[in-house]
Parts: sequence; structure tokens; C-alpha cells
Amino acid sequence: MPETIDIQLKKGVLGLCVLAVLARNESYAYEIASHLSDAIGMGEGTIYPLMRRMQTDGLVATYMVESPAGPSRKYYKLTDAGRAALEAQRDEWRGFASAVDALLEPLPATPAPLEEA
Amino acid sequence: MTRIEFLDRLCKGLKGLPPATLKEIMADYEAHFKDAAEAGRAESEVAEALGDPDRLARELRAEAGVKSWDEAKTPSNASSAIIGILGLGAIDILILLPLAGGVIGTLIGIFAAAIGAFIGGGVLFAAGPFMGLPGGIAAALLGGFGVMALAATIGAITLALTIWLVNGLVWYARLHYRVLKPALEA
Repeated sequence: MPETIDIQLKKGVLGLCVLAVLARNESYAYEIASHLSDAIGMGEGTIYPLMRRMQTDGLVATYMVESPAGPSRKYYKLTDAGRAALEAQRDEWRGFASAVDALLEPLPATPAPLEEA
Repeated sequence: MTRIEFLDRLCKGLKGLPPATLKEIMADYEAHFKDAAEAGRAESEVAEALGDPDRLARELRAEAGVKSWDEAKTPSNASSAIIGILGLGAIDILILLPLAGGVIGTLIGIFAAAIGAFIGGGVLFAAGPFMGLPGGIAAALLGGFGVMALAATIGAITLALTIWLVNGLVWYARLHYRVLKPALEA
């Protein structure tokens, strides 16, 4: 079982990850779910309530694609609001991540202050 | 758990949703099983990876409730949004209930008073001129009209307050979503 920080972190960035995946390629839910499950170990079932929420919030839109075999498939794509949200959240994430990285580094060796004679 | 068992439990958990929404959600999960089967995965493994269908149903219900409230601010949509959110355990029901009871009672009381005052103003406006009240016909007409306008204003302000209150509740609950946690632990 992962530690709490792991869970909280993933919970916070799941929406950002979905936006990022969709910015690369418009995709269908199974593909998004297995992609994120491989990449960050997200529970696959979680993607569906999340996609519905993002649709309610106007971040993603759906369209149907005819499939040669079987029924047509529901694809998701970013809306303009979704692209704006991705940009804002990406900057926020990068700023946060580099701040944490800086804290994790050992203190740089500062030159000893020169003693005035 | 088999595919049929998973879908069955999910469907039971979603009872009461609008039929179109229910159909859409079930189609999503059916497509998931189909795509997974094409990828060569076993049904039981896919069902396990999806997580607990009862918990997913609670989250989907809450989402559907919020969505219908976003689309139309009706009393029944407000109650389905709030009930869905309560189903998540996102708000402590024991703290909320007495508070909500008081607030809802007050709002209903104000609405009733506003409606009563509106009717009273209407009566004064319509019947006042013939009742020989001190101040004459003009005073009765103006007074009746004034009371009606005041009542309508109070009603409108209370309505705006109610909508704002439900929006605030939805916002608060979303901040406190705890439902993703078990899925991530799986």
C-alpha cells in the first residue's frame, strides 16, 4: 500500500495528467485509463467519474468515431477551456515541483564568511 | 467478480438517475470491458482493476447530481445534488443536518412571508380604493403596490441566496472529495 503522500499527490494531479494525455492525442477512455494506470498507478475505474466531471466543467468534449469492427467509440478532446486549464496547472505544477526539488537538495556548501582581521 | 456481476452492481447503485445518463455510464463501462478483452485481459482482472462498483456508483451519482444542478437550478436538482454529495461521505452528515434544517426552515419561512405580503399588497391595491381608508384612493393604490414590490424583492433576494448556498455546498464538497483515495490504493 502506498504511503499517504503518494495518494494525495496523485489525487491532486490526476486531472492535470488527463489534460496532458489529451493534449498529446485525442483518445478514448480505455486508452487514457490504461495509459495513466501504467504511468502513475491510477485505479482504472476512477477515470470515468473524472471524465464526466471534466465534461461537466467544460474542460473536455466528446465525439463519436465509427469503428470498422463493432460499435462506434467515444473519443475525448480538449476544449479551449481545457487547454487554458492545462497551461495554468502545468506552470503551477512545475513551480511547485522545482521548489520541492530545491528543498530536497542538500544545502550547497557556502563559502565560510571571511573574517575581518 | 465477473463482468456481469460488476455491471449489475454498478447499475443497481445508479438506480434513480435519468435513464439517458444511466445508459451513457453503463455504455462507458461496457466499452471498457470490451476494449480490455481485445487487449487480452481476463474479465476478473479487469473488474478488480476498475475498483468497487458501489463506490464508483456513489461518485457517479454525485457527479450527475451536480451536473443537473448546474444545468437547471430547480429544488429537485438541488436536493439530488446534495443527496449525491452526502452519499460520498464528503460532508459530515451529523454536523450538516441540524444546520441545514435550520437554514432550510428559515428560507422557507421567508418565502412564505414574502408570498403572504405579496398577496396582502395585492388585496390592498385592488380592494383598498373601495374601503374608504384614511388617505384616500391614491394612498391605497400606492401602498398596495409598494408592499407587492417589497415582497417580490425579498423573494428574489432569498432565491439568489438559496442558489448561492447550494453552489457553496457543492464547491465545499468537491474540495473534500475523498473518493479517489480507495481507487488509487487498489
